[in-house]
Amino acid sequence: MNELKIAVSGINAVDNPGPGVGIARALKEDPDLNVKIIGLAYDAMEPGIYMDWVVDKTFILSYPSSGKDALLERLAYIKKSYGLDYIIPNLDSELPLYTKYTKEIEALGVEVFVPTENQYKLRAKDKLVQVAEKINIDIPKTAVVNSPDELIKAVDKIGLPVMVKGAYYKAERAYTTQEAISHFHKISAEWGFPIILQEVVKGEELNVVGVGDGEGNMIGKLGIKKMWITSLGKIWTGVTIKNELMLNAADNFVKEYKWKGPFELECIVDKNKIYLIEINPRFPAWSYFATGCGINLPANMVKKSFGLPFEENQDYEAGKLYVRYTYETITDMKTFQNVITKGEN
Amino acid sequence: MNRLSKLAVNSEGFIFDPTTGDSYTVNPTGLFIINSLRDGKEIDQIAEELSKEFEDTPEEISKDISEFVSHLYTYNLY
Repeated sequence: MNELKIAVSGINAVDNPGPGVGIARALKEDPDLNVKIIGLAYDAMEPGIYMDWVVDKTFILSYPSSGKDALLERLAYIKKSYGLDYIIPNLDSELPLYTKYTKEIEALGVEVFVPTENQYKLRAKDKLVQVAEKINIDIPKTAVVNSPDELIKAVDKIGLPVMVKGAYYKAERAYTTQEAISHFHKISAEWGFPIILQEVVKGEELNVVGVGDGEGNMIGKLGIKKMWITSLGKIWTGVTIKNELMLNAADNFVKEYKWKGPFELECIVDKNKIYLIEINPRFPAWSYFATGCGINLPANMVKKSFGLPFEENQDYEAGKLYVRYTYETITDMKTFQNVITKGEN
Repeated sequence: MNRLSKLAVNSEGFIFDPTTGDSYTVNPTGLFIINSLRDGKEIDQIAEELSKEFEDTPEEISKDISEFVSHLYTYNLY
């Protein structure tokens, strides 16, 4: 097949790793695709820049807060100077731009496969109640609050301890109402309103990664349990599982919302009860796990986008282990210099 | 019982629950009981078989098996 130039962001393979390197690796390993990987980085130190066996070419982008014009200009430059057929944005901060300006990006001759703007809004924590009901999954007792007075009333109803969460980022556990008020002020100052209060539920944290085709079908999915996490809460060892409650919820999510693109559902499972905790509208950093189990989600998503054949919703084996490890590469200053001076390498 | 049938059990007594991702280990007697329950045997029948290897009476062994089964319940495996 013709060579495809695919850009991936999130090549910051650090202690809080972005998903990019695993996705690049998955695309490179697919026997049907002939890809050149373009790494999109925000900092010259992102390790993916130096992993030339995975990333063929790198461009520095300006931060998403620079807005639409800066992004479109840079993508047009990459398209013209190197070639660019497809982009997989992998960072939360980038998604508002990519979901809002999908048409403008496609007008450059660059394909993207991301949720629509309305679908993207479902990830907001104040929408979780509505999503959970629709996909037949429980949710911890939840209240959306905008003031300390509302918070105090909500804590009375939910009880303590309670999780205090920003609508998109940040979550803190509070053991007293006073502590909850303090988290309320801190999180709202950083991330704005509303603030979500949520019951603390007991159980195991299980996750599922999947890709929806935008028409109600699942391109593929994989369920896992994190067995060992770092101090930042990032997976270091995991195992594949087949929890029907969770996998059915993922299928319902894709079917009910005609979800387009990658997603991760974070759930807490307590015996036969399953709670939805979070929806991430992108690939998680451990997505290569699925590829290693025979379900190449990034490659299948690309194939779907270009109308190429692939096997939908493949099965996998429970009990496969995922183990991260650290590795080092030694290189001279040339790559670093190029990235610093030219913004590309 | 349905849950028990889904477990992956190896000959060394390592048990993996594919629904939760939890794993357990059991000694050879525990492994024998789990495999017997998976084969659909009743507790009394398992006790009878174990009494050939142990000095205890089938009644005493039945009690121990019931206690073992209650552990399986606790872990949501039975």
